[in-house]
Amino acid sequence: MAHIHLPDGSFTLFWVLVWWIFTLVLIGAALVWARMRRAGAREITVAAFVTAASFAVFQVQVPLFGGVHMNLTPLIGILAGPVLGSFIVFIVNILSAAIGHGGWGLIGANVLVNFSEVTTGYLTFRALKRVTPSLFSRAGIATFGGLFVGNIAMIAIILVSGIQGVTQTPVQILTGLSLLAAVNMGVAVVEAFVTGFIVEYIGKVKPDLLGGGRP
Amino acid sequence: MTALDRRKGLILFGLILVMVAIISLAAYRMTGPMGIEERYNQAVGLPSAEEEPGGGWFGFSLEGNPLLYGVILVVLGGTCVIAYLWWRREESR
Repeated sequence: MAHIHLPDGSFTLFWVLVWWIFTLVLIGAALVWARMRRAGAREITVAAFVTAASFAVFQVQVPLFGGVHMNLTPLIGILAGPVLGSFIVFIVNILSAAIGHGGWGLIGANVLVNFSEVTTGYLTFRALKRVTPSLFSRAGIATFGGLFVGNIAMIAIILVSGIQGVTQTPVQILTGLSLLAAVNMGVAVVEAFVTGFIVEYIGKVKPDLLGGGRP
Repeated sequence: MTALDRRKGLILFGLILVMVAIISLAAYRMTGPMGIEERYNQAVGLPSAEEEPGGGWFGFSLEGNPLLYGVILVVLGGTCVIAYLWWRREESR
């Protein structure tokens, strides 16, 4: 999981607006794409289930490395694809902020971070089809890839935006965030197993669902 | 695709897993035990905020308002049921 876990006011208003605008452009483009591709009942139902699962899991702090949480973003990518996935992470971030988990001003930045995880998870899962038939391995590796890219995106967004009211240099912030990202990746081990088992199970009982998730 | 290809995937997954686990444990030992918010604040140089101890089950705890969490989960669950019924109706046509 990569989620900018900072309070409102950490970013300047300018950067809050910049990340929100990027997110709204992304959601707008996804809406246009979804209208053109006409998502069917199956895709929308899968998206609804993945949204509920992601929201439910996202709020639970796992007692690992002092406290981390999963968000199942690579699983969202694998099952729903990047287009519906962008709506899912947008909804989950809004609902999370609504219950007091994460700042409203950081939703824009967090959606972009989560979208990078969804897209990387989706692309990695598909690309590995040529390497191995094992759904568990493909989903697990896609999870590691997605969460790694998400952490890079999280660091990049914080470094570009800067933090208000701190005296740390960008190099110090980069060092601190790199350590944090490394600890965060610990939960990727748990999430890789969870995603791997879910995808493997779906592959056995309803394999056509894995063919969904159109780009 | 053979059993060898399948094993290749599992070996690759295992290697990544071991590498990630080692790096995470090393980073955890360097930073020490702390909550998620405290870890973020320390990383960027913000003053550490006291994290609410909160309840929890076997170390698992909820972030945010538990009542709102429950309400939203029920609404999302209801949406899933409606979407599923709609899908089934579309499939049977």
